[in-house]
Amino acid sequence: MKITLTVNDAAYPLDVEPRRVLADALRDDCGLTGTHLGCEQGVCGACTVLVDGEAVRSCLMLAVQCDGVPIRTVEGLAGPGGEPHPLQRAFSAERGLQCGFCTPGFLMLAAGALDHDPRLGDEEVADLVRSNLCRCTGYEPIRRAITRAARDHQNGQEGRHRSV
Amino acid sequence: MVDRWLRREDERLLTGAGRFVADLRVDGRLDAVFVRSEVAHGVLREVDCSAARETPGVAGAWSAADLPGLPPMPGGEPAREWPALVEDRVRYPGEALAVVLGDDRYHAEDGAARVRTRIDPLPAVVTARDAAADSVALFDGLSNVALRGEAGSPIAGEVWERAAVVVESRYRQQLLMPSPMECRTILCVPEGDRLTVWSGHQAPHRLRSELAALLDRPEESVRVVVPDTGGAFGSKSAVFPEFIVVAWLAVRLGRPVRWVEDRRESLLVATRGRGQDQHVRLAADADGRLLAYELTVEADVGAYPHLGVAFPMQTAWMATGPYTTPLVHATVRSVLTNTMITYPYRGAGRPEATSPLERTMDVLARRLDLDPAELRRRNLIPPELFPYRTPTGRTYDSGDHPAALDLALRTLGYDGWRAEQARRRADPAALPVGIGLSCYVERSGGERGSLHDYVGVEAGEDGTVVARCGAASSGQSHSTVFPALVAETLGVEPARVRLIEGDTDELPGGVGSFGSRSAQIDGAGLQHAAGLLIEEARERAARMWDLPVEETAWSEGAVHPVRGTAAMGLSELVKRTGPLRIDERYEADMAFPFGTHAAVVEVDPDLGTVRVLRLVAVDDCGRALDPAVVRGQAFGSIVQGLGQALYEGVPFGDDGVPLLANGLLDYLLPTYAEIPPIDLRETRTPTPRTPLGAKGAGESGCIGTPPAIVNAVADALRLDHPERLQMPLTPDVVWRAAA
Amino acid sequence: MKPSAFDYVAPRTVADAVDALAAGAQVLAGGQSLLLDMHLQRAHPALVADINHVPGLDELTASDGTLTVGALVRHQTFESPGAVPGPLGDLFARAVVTIAHPPIRARGTMAGSLAWAHPASEWCALAVALDAVVELRSTRGTREIPAGEYFLGPFQTAREPDELLTAVRYPLLAPDTGVAFTEHRRTGFSFAQVAVGAALTVRDGVITEARIGLANCADRPLRAHAAERTLIGAEPSSPAFTMAGEAASTEDAAPVPEPYADVDYRRHVIAVLVARTLREAAPV
Repeated sequence: MKITLTVNDAAYPLDVEPRRVLADALRDDCGLTGTHLGCEQGVCGACTVLVDGEAVRSCLMLAVQCDGVPIRTVEGLAGPGGEPHPLQRAFSAERGLQCGFCTPGFLMLAAGALDHDPRLGDEEVADLVRSNLCRCTGYEPIRRAITRAARDHQNGQEGRHRSV
Repeated sequence: MVDRWLRREDERLLTGAGRFVADLRVDGRLDAVFVRSEVAHGVLREVDCSAARETPGVAGAWSAADLPGLPPMPGGEPAREWPALVEDRVRYPGEALAVVLGDDRYHAEDGAARVRTRIDPLPAVVTARDAAADSVALFDGLSNVALRGEAGSPIAGEVWERAAVVVESRYRQQLLMPSPMECRTILCVPEGDRLTVWSGHQAPHRLRSELAALLDRPEESVRVVVPDTGGAFGSKSAVFPEFIVVAWLAVRLGRPVRWVEDRRESLLVATRGRGQDQHVRLAADADGRLLAYELTVEADVGAYPHLGVAFPMQTAWMATGPYTTPLVHATVRSVLTNTMITYPYRGAGRPEATSPLERTMDVLARRLDLDPAELRRRNLIPPELFPYRTPTGRTYDSGDHPAALDLALRTLGYDGWRAEQARRRADPAALPVGIGLSCYVERSGGERGSLHDYVGVEAGEDGTVVARCGAASSGQSHSTVFPALVAETLGVEPARVRLIEGDTDELPGGVGSFGSRSAQIDGAGLQHAAGLLIEEARERAARMWDLPVEETAWSEGAVHPVRGTAAMGLSELVKRTGPLRIDERYEADMAFPFGTHAAVVEVDPDLGTVRVLRLVAVDDCGRALDPAVVRGQAFGSIVQGLGQALYEGVPFGDDGVPLLANGLLDYLLPTYAEIPPIDLRETRTPTPRTPLGAKGAGESGCIGTPPAIVNAVADALRLDHPERLQMPLTPDVVWRAAA
Repeated sequence: MKPSAFDYVAPRTVADAVDALAAGAQVLAGGQSLLLDMHLQRAHPALVADINHVPGLDELTASDGTLTVGALVRHQTFESPGAVPGPLGDLFARAVVTIAHPPIRARGTMAGSLAWAHPASEWCALAVALDAVVELRSTRGTREIPAGEYFLGPFQTAREPDELLTAVRYPLLAPDTGVAFTEHRRTGFSFAQVAVGAALTVRDGVITEARIGLANCADRPLRAHAAERTLIGAEPSSPAFTMAGEAASTEDAAPVPEPYADVDYRRHVIAVLVARTLREAAPV
């Protein structure tokens, strides 16, 4: 099927089989390999991207379902001038990643939530962190990172690194 | 820009620019999919790939019969060979029967679905005890027992007879799936007479030599590159049957071939950890002084003899633990079972040593009516006895175990929790709480024969410094930590130093990253190499300035005469005197990190649920190169330990097939919902065995945490003999134990 | 773990959708269970009908004492306390947060859960407890089946393969109904070992109406009729709730063994959880 994926504001005209899941279309057809596949059953969340602003498992959506719908991936998280997103800074500052494989999923999950409501409370942040799997960090640094990013986002300030 | 990211790895990993094997684009690459056995044990009667070959997008399909000369797995026994594709006998569920190559994974899977196979099932044995009976033989005419070993000497009967107290118990260290978020990967790219192998791997040089030997070609013709690797935890350190098939076909077809393991096959055929049935006897006098300890291990090691067969000896050697027990004897029997092989998983043999000892210490404390902390204190090896030679053949380098125990108790507020426990016991409406301790000692660096690595430091004309080492990072921040160490040693800005590792073309040799060895061996080696570079620089400057070497000094990245102000930086020195590069094989002895973990749990006896209220971990890994990185490792390791204690396990059906059909909905990794408040504390006892003083870090949580949690649950339920509490402490297990 | 090949249609009307089903299509709504089953090689449809573009199926309406949930109403809709009026909304809001996690709830649908019929499904248990009615459309017409007759076993329902589950209807709960939902599971990601939903009405100090739904207590969702009978006319009290729990466990439930939850343990948990849920549901 001929479709056009609109990813991070760029158009990708594709000819895909209907069975092709969004994650594979993003990775192999659009060359956006920042989205990772960790389980292909919707559990781990490494493949989480924003479809029409909503954080979804891109292994549980078909590419053909996303024809013409705006998609955002980790490659589109930084600002237009390459300025890192507060989440990207916060993940580094709080050591919210080690091997980095699950990281894009957590970033996009949190980015979607921050877009909806920049005033994320502790319970909302916990709910987000509970949604994905990480095998390296033990999650607490990820919780701190999202909380920090929400704070920086609200303050609208450049996230300055502090000692952990 | 530099301080925007705390680690050098961070920018690419946070922006989607990381490059894992599955992210690499190579023209003409084929994807491999394996047709896998659905039975655990059986005789293979037929594999028919003809329909698969006709499938659109499929480049080829092969069974073992179609690939004569396909080499078997290395390191086995001739009589019990492990073929890369099943030839006539299936010995574990998921064992590969055929391989299909397609232009992508979709088409390869289409082909795999059309491969017809017929297997006559045989009875399967999945526990060591069942398999040891030899009523079902994995190899006809041969015993399933693959190895017997011991550490220490047998303990005379009279020791047990004369002891005031003898505690006896049985424990199960369940099979665990290491479960890195990225499963195993390999991409083989043949170009001319060279083969480039990309793999998320812990030991690239070993992979190179094994593949070269298997393919019967010179080592130099194979290049192994480890790009970003999505976690490993021990599970990515070997060559696997699938790797052999992929490399073989890539060479034979002259086309790039890759295998990106998916989660479904990973849960079936990735290596697993632990897998021991244990029996212990612990004797003490009336004051609680330990007299003797005996550990008997029956290990289920999987379907084929392999490195993992000898691995339970780690448990035997570490059986003494952190105590001055004068008599310790450990015996091991490794038994082949109808499962994928048991192999190192984070902790690798030390959790299996710590857990039975620490659980039994708590039983002994109850028997003696002694506080479990006090019992431990009376028996911990005192600092003045180091180096300490154990009855099981280890020589511990250094330690201050009582300090770690005391810090853990203080951090936890031990007395306060005991008071809370008493309060709740007096209140029938309150849920019981329990407090559990675990003192551990582990071994880091590796065993004899792997206690070395290649290290190198090179100064460039442009003022940059390149560090090289044989380690391979799968998330341990090497690119940040090692340059910082070299920069500190040389007295230069860290930004000037970069690390090269994980590429056999770029390094004269290497061992890899496993057994908590990278900081201890490679770190100490890089510091040593940087020191040699300084010496060489001083010698060259001395010659240039016509001074004795003693009249030169080094500071702030430059050599200068002891008297006078002229200084020459590395860049200038290289320009004047030529390339300046140190390449060393650095060797060090093993070290013994230690610590105390403590847990507080609340148990709902009606449902059997365990809520961990608090975890405290005091770890001592000697000098920490980057304390925040060490803490990150410790934290993640503790959560994996929590997983073993409460959630993770591999249940089998009667047919010997793991009951994990729903993938990660059946094999339950801890989620954030399960994470208690965790306090990390450190003591610092540098190893005297290297000038750097770093011991291994990162496995402590898997070693210290599980018995602390199990002891806490037993304490909450006031179980005198908690054999019914076997990990994972799922609600049904706890409910039964409480009943 | 890739889906096998299929053809794809995206009908724009219910009529086109049921035509596609008549041609053998499987329905893609939220896709969170269909794609899971495809990845796990449990579903191999030749044709998939994506109903996400059919207008009207995403409607959620409450009128004349009935809540109608269209086939495309996502789980997350029910997280907002005001989405459904009265105690029914409260009960749904308590239940929905136990379903998977936010990204799954953003896509998955309540109707999809009823179509999938997983024995541990929270929605399915509530549907039978609340006397929901399932609306099925096909080229042969429309029919309605009470939830109590709809579930036939694990992943088995009375829906014919060519029928589209267009809506689920629930009677709204009276304003004085007390509700609760509790779930027992091993980690945040696992299916419920047992889940219980309850709605209780107490008038003049005695229980006049009781509805108890059980998830993963049998090969299909159950309404705990025997337990409910022990409650009618009783005062809301711990002994009464304990007795109801016993009845649910021994008379209503027919637990299936699973790893980490054999029949004895399941029965025990059912008794405990039903009693606890009732205690929580009892209007103060």
